[in-house]
Amino acid sequence: MTALGQNLIDALALGSLYALIALGITLVYTVMGMMNFAHGEFIMLAAYALFVLADLPFGAAVGCALLAGIAIALIAERVAFRPVRNADLSAQLVTSLAVAAILQNVVTVAVDARAQSVETPAAISETTSIGSIMVPNLEFVTLGLTVIVLAGLGWLLYRTRTGLAMRAAAENFEMARLLGVRANRVIAIAFAISGALAAVVGVLIVLQTGQVSPTMGLTPVLVGFVAVVIGGFGRMFGAVVGGLLLGALSSLLGVYLPEGLAPFRDAIVFTFPVLILIFRPHGLLGGEIGKARV
Amino acid sequence: MSRVRFRTPQSAAASLLIPLLAIAITALIGANGTPSFQDTVTTILCNLIIVIGLQVFVGNSGVYSFGQLGFATAGAYIAAFLTLPAAFVLLQTPGLPHFIADAHLGALPSTLIAAAISGLLAIVIGLPLMRTSTLAIPISTFAFLIVAYNIVANWDRVTGGSSGLVSIPTTTSVESAALWAGAAVILALAYKWSASGYRLQATREDEVAARSIGVGVMRERLIAFGISGVLCGVGGALAVHQSGVLSPVTFYFGATVTTMTMLVVGGARSVFGAVIGAIAISAVNELLRGIENGASLFGAISIGEAPGLAAIGLGLILLATMIAMPSGLSGGREAGELSWLQRLGLSAPAPPAESSGAVASKPAIDRPAKGALRAEGISLAFAGLRVLKGVDLALGPGEALGLIGPNGAGKTTLVNVLSGFQAPDLGTVSLNGADVTGYSPARLAHEGLGRTFQAALPFPDLSGLESVAVGAMGMGVSRRRAIAIAADVLDRLNLREQAILPAGALPPGSQRLLGIARALAIGPSHLLLDEPAAGLNEAECEQLVAILRDVLSDFGCGILLIEHDMSIVMPLCSRVQVLDDGMTIRIGTPQEVQADPAVVESYLGSSFLAAADA
Repeated sequence: MTALGQNLIDALALGSLYALIALGITLVYTVMGMMNFAHGEFIMLAAYALFVLADLPFGAAVGCALLAGIAIALIAERVAFRPVRNADLSAQLVTSLAVAAILQNVVTVAVDARAQSVETPAAISETTSIGSIMVPNLEFVTLGLTVIVLAGLGWLLYRTRTGLAMRAAAENFEMARLLGVRANRVIAIAFAISGALAAVVGVLIVLQTGQVSPTMGLTPVLVGFVAVVIGGFGRMFGAVVGGLLLGALSSLLGVYLPEGLAPFRDAIVFTFPVLILIFRPHGLLGGEIGKARV
Repeated sequence: MSRVRFRTPQSAAASLLIPLLAIAITALIGANGTPSFQDTVTTILCNLIIVIGLQVFVGNSGVYSFGQLGFATAGAYIAAFLTLPAAFVLLQTPGLPHFIADAHLGALPSTLIAAAISGLLAIVIGLPLMRTSTLAIPISTFAFLIVAYNIVANWDRVTGGSSGLVSIPTTTSVESAALWAGAAVILALAYKWSASGYRLQATREDEVAARSIGVGVMRERLIAFGISGVLCGVGGALAVHQSGVLSPVTFYFGATVTTMTMLVVGGARSVFGAVIGAIAISAVNELLRGIENGASLFGAISIGEAPGLAAIGLGLILLATMIAMPSGLSGGREAGELSWLQRLGLSAPAPPAESSGAVASKPAIDRPAKGALRAEGISLAFAGLRVLKGVDLALGPGEALGLIGPNGAGKTTLVNVLSGFQAPDLGTVSLNGADVTGYSPARLAHEGLGRTFQAALPFPDLSGLESVAVGAMGMGVSRRRAIAIAADVLDRLNLREQAILPAGALPPGSQRLLGIARALAIGPSHLLLDEPAAGLNEAECEQLVAILRDVLSDFGCGILLIEHDMSIVMPLCSRVQVLDDGMTIRIGTPQEVQADPAVVESYLGSSFLAAADA
């Protein structure tokens, strides 16, 4: 029973992390229909801010990482993504792949191809016991941040004018534009929030692994993509559900897979969403997107 | 009767020979270089084969796959297993089954087996992946790449794990790689120009329209995915026999980006683009590496992945291409289609199809005795909103039935139900006596149901002739016969002149007629036309009426005509059915219907009647 509780909390924590990644990708997808491959590199760059600013107090470094995430997202939007805003999904995906390759290799050249270790506050790696369950403090931080982010996003989207504009743009971009929603502004805000979410994820990953590497964004972005797809393209709620499901699956497989199969966990985790797509081609909570228009 | 062609022999020859020439020149330069330069050129040619493999799927389907390098991995490992010397097998891959471990094949058989297994793997993997939606394929194929990597990197006893394999015999020479690359070009072009290749290109141009003419989207994608798997497997097998070493990252993310860059920069829609993209990007890559190393310009390169500065350069080139030149260096054209080549007289565009004089008296495709298209009790609701409430409809052979009603009456929805794009909640549809309720659009097309859409939905990048011929190809007839059928249909619709132009370049009226021609090319027993006159001017409308009258008499198919303009319905239709709010409110001759107060009310409102009475 104790072990089960422990595993469930671990699963929830990893699921929350994945949900944050999926949310960042979905936000951009809803306003401009682009699956942003470079989201993983936003995560990576924010993490490197922690590495570069290791001399600062940790809190200040985290603040800088947040700014770095927002800045790189805004720059990428302005330089690379705005010109292909009206291209089809595949072309946009390839564009974001190019951005990802550039950012990844810039860091490789500027720092190193190998992973670098980053010092993290000791308190994070300690555990707190609730009854007989030992919970790593990092999981509290992850869960807490997820709740804060979800509440903040909910407030922004449903209680502010900006949020209204974003939701309108998500429903029908052209119509929203005709009604006076400023496209550039809405998209820039979506990217800024997406960049901030990426930074949060980057910091959490550093806290967990204690290191950064140029390719550290690859797995997260794929996890995010898959979560977005199984949640049903472009659904905020779907992204959260998809992320939680995928994280929980990954975490529980890590515990319950027999030893011989343990190394193949990723293979199993990434096969599962494809199975979902076979039976529900538009995702678990999928809507009209991708359905034939006749 | 002059033969009608998609392209002139000069154009076809140029499309085939110019890429082959580019490969031959590359190989010739390579073969006379230093050993390390030979290695470089061999690697370029191996990459080129993989890029052609990518082109077969990505270029023709328009759907990006990020998983094709997984098949290169498969081909490379299989080729390595089949050729590793016994001592090294025991050391590196003790878990390998004996019959594979004991095999010590030569270069050719090992490459062939690797190609076959990679192709088979692509079919097996593609079966579920191609079922996912167009939007999800890029992501599900990426997931496959990760899964493949994860398995290869961790199955230590068989694959040697993440440290990979060494001491693989190096048998690939510049010459053998060039021969394989040439074969890849021929295979890719043969596929692109086959009926199956055209069907897939139609799905790229417009998925919905392609389904309406009987194209099975999933099936066609799967075929291309399999061929792509074969070519990627060949590329992987040759590459591993060039470098002699292999690891799970050889064909992973970095190589995916590099090969994708080659394809996109060259222009994904043409084999020519794949070839020049692979060669141009490889040259740039070498140059960048030279700068990076600061020394020898043509050092041996590792396969696929470019570290650091070179990779940044490639990324920038890819980004610039996507922004400034999305159809690539080739513009998506085959070599024979390049206009400057045609100006030089080295190629020639297809001539407009000359009138064949006497039009064939038989309909395009023979079908068994025709019955009626019948719908009974069709009901359908969208999220609680009842759009159709028990509608009956019967369309006999050779009959023209008008379907009219105010906006939102459910006319288009009914046509979508009849043509399989929408399954009804209740009710049955039967065609020529057989229950066809719940059939897919493609299957219904095969049963003889043709349709058009409110929008013209052209295949913009295909010529008019190709667009219409694809309709017949969707029925599985040979390419030559399909072209003959298309020429005949275009003749009847007076579209001959426009037929050599890309459909996307035609004026809206012609695009609309082309849509009808495309549907006629499947040899329909019943044809559903959804507002064919929308957006046509008066002269075009008159022409449309004349054409439809000919269609009725020549093809003998039943026509269901949704139309608001009574001046089109009146002369064509013997019966008119009026829908309002999802129900049939009247069926009768056009005169009866026009005189019916209930019909006038639903169209014009009761206040109008009251005003008229007063």
